Amino acid sequence: MRRYETIYILRPTLGEEQINTLIDNTTKIIQSDNGLIIESDKWGIKKLAYPIKKEILGYYVLCDFAGTPEAVAEIERKFRIDDSVLRYLTVKTADVITTEEAETATAELATRKAAAKQASATEQEDDLEDESDDDSDSIED
Amino acid sequence: MAQRPQKKLFSRKKVCRFCSDKEQNIDYKDVKTLRGFVSERGKIIPRRIVGTCATHQRQLCEAIKRARHIALLPYSGSILG
Repeated sequence: MRRYETIYILRPTLGEEQINTLIDNTTKIIQSDNGLIIESDKWGIKKLAYPIKKEILGYYVLCDFAGTPEAVAEIERKFRIDDSVLRYLTVKTADVITTEEAETATAELATRKAAAKQASATEQEDDLEDESDDDSDSIED
Repeated sequence: MAQRPQKKLFSRKKVCRFCSDKEQNIDYKDVKTLRGFVSERGKIIPRRIVGTCATHQRQLCEAIKRARHIALLPYSGSILG
């Protein structure tokens, strides 16, 4: 199995349900070929650097997975037909990856994300404490 | 015949940013680092000005072109729009 990374841009006017069904369809194609999803990340709506198909905003989705080249061909075929997918890009990140390596990679990414969330959460708490001190001074009048 | 004085060399010994700092990875998704290697008009800055080594400049170019394909960087025009 090879390790791939796919980014695709969807139309921003789609509803949540449609976006989720699209993402589920792609994951099903990968898993039907005995693939493993390492990470599925929704970046959300971002401004495009140039208009694509007259759209200036796009919904970005990133998928990091281990799979077969046939699965990738199938995904790209579906993207080409679908009107709501504006662009897609698949990059091969590793030539050979075993299922164990894929699972460890998933676990590592999950822990890293959790650590990053905790770090940002503690930063927000510190900021809030500072702000509350300022408020108490102004209320005295 | 007076010979032309040698052209002034612009670069003092510049070190490649990616060779010295092993942690920095060239990733097409990392728009912040890539912007430092792209001019205001969106063109790729040549290697002799930035000081990257040949291998990393090739990787950078590939990353910038991929980022342009996904509309994270513009093909031309300023990034501010």
